[in-house]
Amino acid sequence: MVGLSLGEKHFIQGGIAQDLRSDGRKRLTYRPICVETGFIPQANGSARVRMGATNVISTVKAELGKPSSLQPDKGKVTIYVDCSPTAEPVFEGRGGDELSMELSVALQRCLLGGKSGAGAGIDLSSLIVVEGKICWDLYIDCLVVSSDGNLLDALGAAIKAALSNTGIPRVNVAVGASGDQQPEVDISDEEFMQFDTSDIPVIVTLTKAGRHYIVDATSEEESQMNSAVSISVNRKGHICGLTKRGGAGLDPSIILDMISVAKHVSEQLINKLDSEIAAAEADEDES
Amino acid sequence: MAISILPPTPAAPPQFHQDASDSEDEDDRVDLQGDIDMDQDTSESRPAKRARHIVTPGEVVTTDPQWMRGHGTFIPTHSLTSSPAITSTVAGTIAKTNKLLSVRPLRARYTPEIGDLVVGRIVEVQSKRWRVDVAAPLLAALPLSAINLPGGILRRRTAVDELNIRTFFTEGDLLVAEVQSIYQDGGASLHTRSLKYGKLRNGYFMSVTGTGGGGGGVVRSRRQIWTVSTAHGGGDVDIILGVNGYIWIAKHVEPAGEGTDVSITRIEESVSESIYSSQNDEIAASTRREMARLAGCIKALSEGGARVDEDMVMRAYETAVDMQYSEIDAGEGEEGEYLGGERGKAVIAAVIGTGL
Repeated sequence: MVGLSLGEKHFIQGGIAQDLRSDGRKRLTYRPICVETGFIPQANGSARVRMGATNVISTVKAELGKPSSLQPDKGKVTIYVDCSPTAEPVFEGRGGDELSMELSVALQRCLLGGKSGAGAGIDLSSLIVVEGKICWDLYIDCLVVSSDGNLLDALGAAIKAALSNTGIPRVNVAVGASGDQQPEVDISDEEFMQFDTSDIPVIVTLTKAGRHYIVDATSEEESQMNSAVSISVNRKGHICGLTKRGGAGLDPSIILDMISVAKHVSEQLINKLDSEIAAAEADEDES
Repeated sequence: MAISILPPTPAAPPQFHQDASDSEDEDDRVDLQGDIDMDQDTSESRPAKRARHIVTPGEVVTTDPQWMRGHGTFIPTHSLTSSPAITSTVAGTIAKTNKLLSVRPLRARYTPEIGDLVVGRIVEVQSKRWRVDVAAPLLAALPLSAINLPGGILRRRTAVDELNIRTFFTEGDLLVAEVQSIYQDGGASLHTRSLKYGKLRNGYFMSVTGTGGGGGGVVRSRRQIWTVSTAHGGGDVDIILGVNGYIWIAKHVEPAGEGTDVSITRIEESVSESIYSSQNDEIAASTRREMARLAGCIKALSEGGARVDEDMVMRAYETAVDMQYSEIDAGEGEEGEYLGGERGKAVIAAVIGTGL
C-alpha cells in the first residue's frame, strides 16, 4: 500500500501537536465504543466491539481438558487472533499471520500475566474442576473484521465483553472415583456459571507520534507513530501487563509518564466499557 | 484480579435473529409500483424514510416476461426454456425505467466518465506517466503530457522532464484532476491542465463509499469544489468532493500570484513554479476545528446513506454548529468537534428531517 502524502503527514502531526486531531478528538479521547454480545449461539460467549471503523469479534469456547502436569491446579487459556482479508486485502492467505501473531502474543502478555500465571487478569485456578484431572480449557478466538487502527484495545475490550457474556456449564463430578482413575463427569445443560469480569483489565495503547502520545489512533495516525506502548490496567489501577511496539526507543521517564496517563485514561474506559456491556446484555435479554 | 465464579444462573436460550423482512411474492413486489419512471424519485428521496426492498445476488427478481433485463441482472441459461427469470447479480434496490428492470447496487466501485472531477493518489511512477488510484477497478493513468509543466503550458515536454518526473508528483501524493478519456477496458486517463487542478496540500483526506442504491455517497453535481467561510473564526476552508468518493478538505490558501501584476497570458507560468511544491503551511487550531467538523459532517452523511453534495454538506455543517451552540448553552459543550456515533446521527436526523 502506498503511504500518505507529505501534506497529510504534516496535517496529522500538526493536529497531534495542537491537541486537536483530524477527526476533532483531543489526544486522550477515545472514539465511541459500541458493544454487542451473545450473537454467536455456538460459542459459550461472544462479543463484537466497534470503535469507529474498527470492528472486532471475540468468542469464548470452553472445553473440558486435562491440566498440565507442571501446574495441576490451573486451567488453560489460549488466545488466538485471526485477521480477516475483509479488513485489508493484504491479510489474504498468509499475509495476516504476522499481525495475528503479534496481536495474540500482545494479548496474552496483557491479559494472562507471566508464565506461572501470576499477575494474570484471568485467574486460572478458578478454571479447575478436579485438581490434576480435569479443568476447563478456554479458547478465546478473535476475528478482525475491519481495521481502522487501535486493534489491540478493541480486542482487549471484546475479550472482556465476551468473558462477561460467557456461561460455563456446571459440572457434577461423580463421587467414588479415586486414585488414577479419570473421574466421571456430568455436564449440566441447564445451569451455567458466569465469570466475574469486573477485574479483567482493559488495554490502553498510547501511540507516540512526534513528541506527544495519543490514545485510540486511527490507521492514518498509526502510520505516523514512532512507537506504541500498550498497558493493561484493571479497575484497581494495577498494571497487569505491558508491551511495546515500534522501533524507536523510549526514555524511561516517558514510559513512567505514559503509565500514569494510561491509568487515568483506563478509569474512564473501564466505566464506559462496563456501561456498554451492561447495555448490550440488557438488549440481548430483551430480544 | 481473579475471575471468581458466581452462583449458577439459568442458561439464556440461544438467540437466533430472525429476518424481519420475510419477502412476499416476488411478482407482487415488482408490480407494486407499476411501470413508472423511478429515476427522479430515487435520487431525490431520503433513504431513511423509505422502506427499501433489497435484493441479493442470485435472488430471482421476477419471472414475469413483460420486463427487460437491465444493469445488475441476468437471466440464467437453465431458465430460458421455461419462463425467463430475471435474477439479480448485485445486492441493491430495484429500479424500473418503463419496461427496463435494473438493480442499483448498494455499494459499487466508481466507474469513471469523461469530465468527472476526481481526487486521486499516485501509486506508481512510470517513465512517461503516473498511475493514480481513483477508487475505480483499474488504476487511472496521468500522462506527463497532460499536466501543466512549470514555465507555461505551451512549453514542449522534454527528456529532462521525464527524468525529473518525481519532482512533479511522487508516490503517495494526492491530486485533483479531471477524467480526460476512457480506455476500452474502462480505465481512465486524467489531466490536470487547469489552475483548479493539481497537487493537494494543507489538508485532510477522507473517502466515502456509495454510488447507486439509495443515492448515497458523492453524486455528480454542479459544484464540487467550493470554499466555506467557517464559523468560530476558522477562516476559509476548501472542500473538494471527488466523484469517486475521495474527498479533500483543506485550508484555503490564496494563490501565490495574487496581488502582483501578472498579465493574463503569463498567469499559468507564474503559478506553475509553486504548483508542485510540497511545502505546507501552518494551520491554526481554530481552522482545524472547523475542518474536523466538516469532515465529521461528511462522514455522518455518508454513514446515514444520504447524498453528499454542496447543499447537504453545508446544511449538515450549519446544523452541527448550531448544535454546539445549544450544547454550550446547556453547559456541556466541551467535546464539540467530534461527530462520531450519536452526535453524527443527530445531525443527520436534523438535516434529513428538515429540507427536501
